[in-house]
Amino acid sequence: MILDEKFAPIRKGLLEFILLKIIATEKVYAADILKQLSATEFATQEGTLYPLLSKMRREELLDYDWKESEAGPPRKYYELTAKGRAQLRETSEYWQKINETLKQFGQK
Amino acid sequence: MNKVITVNLNGNAYQLEESGYEALRVYLDGAAAKLAGNPDREEIISDIEQAIADKLRALLGPYKNVAATAQVQAIIAEMGPVDTGAGTPVNEPPPREKAGATGPAPGPAPAAPAKRLYRLHDGSMISGVCNGIAAYFNLDPTIVRLAFVIGAMLTGGVGMVAYLVMAVVIPLASTAEEKDAARGAPPFTAQEFIRRARAGYYDSMKGFPDRQSRRAWKRKFKEDMRAWSRSFKWQAHLDTCAAQSHWHNYWAEHPFMEAGWGIALPFLTLFNAALAIGFIIVIISLLTNGTLIGQAPPSGLPVWLTIVLLLIAYNFIVWPIKAARHAFYRHGLCGARPGPRVFISLWDTFVWIAFVSVLLWLALTHLPEVQAAVSNIPVVFHEAKDNLHQWWSHH
Repeated sequence: MILDEKFAPIRKGLLEFILLKIIATEKVYAADILKQLSATEFATQEGTLYPLLSKMRREELLDYDWKESEAGPPRKYYELTAKGRAQLRETSEYWQKINETLKQFGQK
Repeated sequence: MNKVITVNLNGNAYQLEESGYEALRVYLDGAAAKLAGNPDREEIISDIEQAIADKLRALLGPYKNVAATAQVQAIIAEMGPVDTGAGTPVNEPPPREKAGATGPAPGPAPAAPAKRLYRLHDGSMISGVCNGIAAYFNLDPTIVRLAFVIGAMLTGGVGMVAYLVMAVVIPLASTAEEKDAARGAPPFTAQEFIRRARAGYYDSMKGFPDRQSRRAWKRKFKEDMRAWSRSFKWQAHLDTCAAQSHWHNYWAEHPFMEAGWGIALPFLTLFNAALAIGFIIVIISLLTNGTLIGQAPPSGLPVWLTIVLLLIAYNFIVWPIKAARHAFYRHGLCGARPGPRVFISLWDTFVWIAFVSVLLWLALTHLPEVQAAVSNIPVVFHEAKDNLHQWWSHH
């Protein structure tokens, strides 16, 4: 797919926005996130996800607590910080604006 | 039989086959190198280790903890390359079908690439047509070549034309991917492993900020490479030895062989040589006057067929001697004390070659019968060709 390849940088850029959206709805752990992404165009692998989550935590957009899981060792459950929620709001607005602009082009 | 290595993945103990362990180590080392300078490096690595451990647990279930190499490779493929997110956007889209399976259902092992007919130059004789066909159908290239030669002889040149057409029409496999496609699913060989590791190596190099750490990484990589290729070679060597072990065991059980090998071997060799000379004499007598040293061969049997039957009989007689000699070599190469044995086997080979070549030379220069026999070879060859041709057109 040529489009797939062409839009790879854009998808990559949007990944952070999508993570903010996913984590905003509920506390999730990494495998949950990957599962939600897997059926979409934004399918991601651990190799990409973990560095990005760490980066976002360093930017204080999200935080995690350890929680016991029924099987196996405790897991990191991520949630948004206040700063993360603010960022999500701003990004949503910005994305809306971009969409509007996109629609305007090509119309007479 | 594979060596198993126990690993500790973020506090979880797992056992991996050795080559799977190496693959995992390359992956994790590569990840660590790429994340050099990242303040969260330790944390990301431990996250990744935990994810691999989770996948292994899902794959193996609660009561099993030895993972096969293919399983480890599938997991690594599922994890995907560690992306520092710092600079260059990835060119390839994330493989969608592989990313999802983090739950109890393990992702399928990477599917075998589709096979395609290519000409293969690695180990080819002329243009790689037969080699490529052999790779496509998983045959021995020699069989395909023989089939081509016989076919060309029987069809009187049509086979040759077919070969030339194929040499022009079939594309040549030039890249590694094409060569893989020509062979179908590539086996996980040492070369393939090193190729992949090297790709990861150059990838990691980009992530290094300064020359110093680059150089250190380079040195470490080279050391690792050397160690790996040594261990692969050693493994291959051990496998060869193990495959020969039934011979080895058989002959090792006979103590007189053990004690008298040095004496016995040249005798075996001379016996073998005597048999070979006898065989040659029979062939010569057959070629010159059509008899088996005075005895007429069964009537109606053409000369060439008699020669083929004689060859089979000869090999049948000589086989135990060959086996004994091979067992000896194997013993010398695989046993604990190679020492003088290797020299004896060298010496033995030398004696054998010298003996046969001197005799052949003497026979050719001094015996008119031998010369007559040699000049008779083309006639017999033509007869064989005609017979085969007739047989072909009758059936």
